[in-house]
Amino acid sequence: MDAIKKKILIADDSQLNRELLVDILEGQFDVVEASNGAEAIKIMESDNDLALVLLDINMPVVDGFEVLEEMNRTKRIERTPVIIISAENALTFAERAFNLGVSDYIIRPFDANIVRRRVLNTLMLYAKQKKLLDLMEDEIYERQRNNAMLIGIMSHVVEFRNEESGPHIQHVRIITELLLKALGEVSPQYALSDEEIALIGTASSLHDLGKVSIAPEVLNKPGKLTSEEFEVMKTHSAIGASMLEKMTVYADEPLVKTAYQICRWHHERYDGRGYPDGLCGDDIPMCAQVVALADVYDALTSDRIYKKAFSHEKAIEMIKNGECGSFNPVLIQVLDKVADELRDALSKSYSAYPEDLRRVAAEVLRNKLSSATRV
Amino acid sequence: MNLKEFYAISGGDYDGAMARLITEERVKKFVRKFAGDPSYSELIAALDKSDAKAAFLAAHTLKGVCQNLGFDSLYRSSSAITEILRAGSLDVGALPDEIKLHYTTIIDAIGSLE
Repeated sequence: MDAIKKKILIADDSQLNRELLVDILEGQFDVVEASNGAEAIKIMESDNDLALVLLDINMPVVDGFEVLEEMNRTKRIERTPVIIISAENALTFAERAFNLGVSDYIIRPFDANIVRRRVLNTLMLYAKQKKLLDLMEDEIYERQRNNAMLIGIMSHVVEFRNEESGPHIQHVRIITELLLKALGEVSPQYALSDEEIALIGTASSLHDLGKVSIAPEVLNKPGKLTSEEFEVMKTHSAIGASMLEKMTVYADEPLVKTAYQICRWHHERYDGRGYPDGLCGDDIPMCAQVVALADVYDALTSDRIYKKAFSHEKAIEMIKNGECGSFNPVLIQVLDKVADELRDALSKSYSAYPEDLRRVAAEVLRNKLSSATRV
Repeated sequence: MNLKEFYAISGGDYDGAMARLITEERVKKFVRKFAGDPSYSELIAALDKSDAKAAFLAAHTLKGVCQNLGFDSLYRSSSAITEILRAGSLDVGALPDEIKLHYTTIIDAIGSLE
């Protein structure tokens, strides 16, 4: 236990009951008292340090259930555990209290040692869960950071040879993640978890990996490519994919598998007129379709050695008119939907948002816990 | 009289109270505090005013306190009245007299507790 005593709120209308609980707990805890539900809510509003609430049900002014409803409204119940102490021994009371999120339900007459023990257990459980979530968050942050760093180095190698100024790879990643999120909303059959979206976003950074093997004269030619040169240029998608395929040790990793699909098929087109395989429609994996669209949009809106940047509006219009090859109509719909958001997102520089991190950590933890409890 | 005798006279459960509250010192301290607990007088006042809701809350509190201190006879009568009042009824029959008898027995006995 911490050196600083944890603070417990006792809400009970009977002074004698409160004094009894104080007597039992005050050696180990700091105790604050409320004589009805309204006072309890007021104390909770102004005191963020409460570690636990001991709550009576039958109280004047505002009763225990109303306190719980308020704590659900404010989501306080998620970080401050509540133990009910009540003379109500009907199951319906206990059930209603548990449905409102209480951690434990102690029926009068209570036993001093058991009250103390249950308070300690609940506090320990909450502390463990919080610690677990913090650890998970650190772990995921570290993992994402390492991934981002290595992939950043890899993609800079590609960009460096490519003499493409500007953050193309970062942009493709942001656009890809944005499109995938919106895609799930527009068409639930394509809905992915935050973790899956993050994985595709990471893999998208490798889409031009194969360009490291293209001769610089072709790669950085200022004018239009001859058809022969274009054929050479086109080999980068298959080459990138085969580089990944040859990494036998990691070939089965989800990141590598996804990156393989993206590398190989990010120049395929929905009507089958892309390369290298001429895949058509939904034969092209969705991750590659999305990266293809992101790649085209960013190429259009950036300066290139052979062209000036088009405006955001012009780029959207060109894509919708099919001037850059055909795309899945659902993706065009999604692009339309997120157009404004897209322009805003690219004007900011990207960093891992802490709230995203916490959400992903909570999701991973939830998945791990539910698979651990599944028998 | 000592604590054990007090419980015998007032219709209570000495062993139960000791098991829950562990030390005789703590039991004695809260038995004495019971004399100052307002829930009995609140119950009587609410019944006089025919305020079933207030009477329910007072009876419920009294019942809870008695339960914890092991005042079994007063617990049983206050528990019975609680359930009648919970339903919104004031048809409590002779229960207030019974409660009064149990309550005064306890208060008198507290007076002679060592």
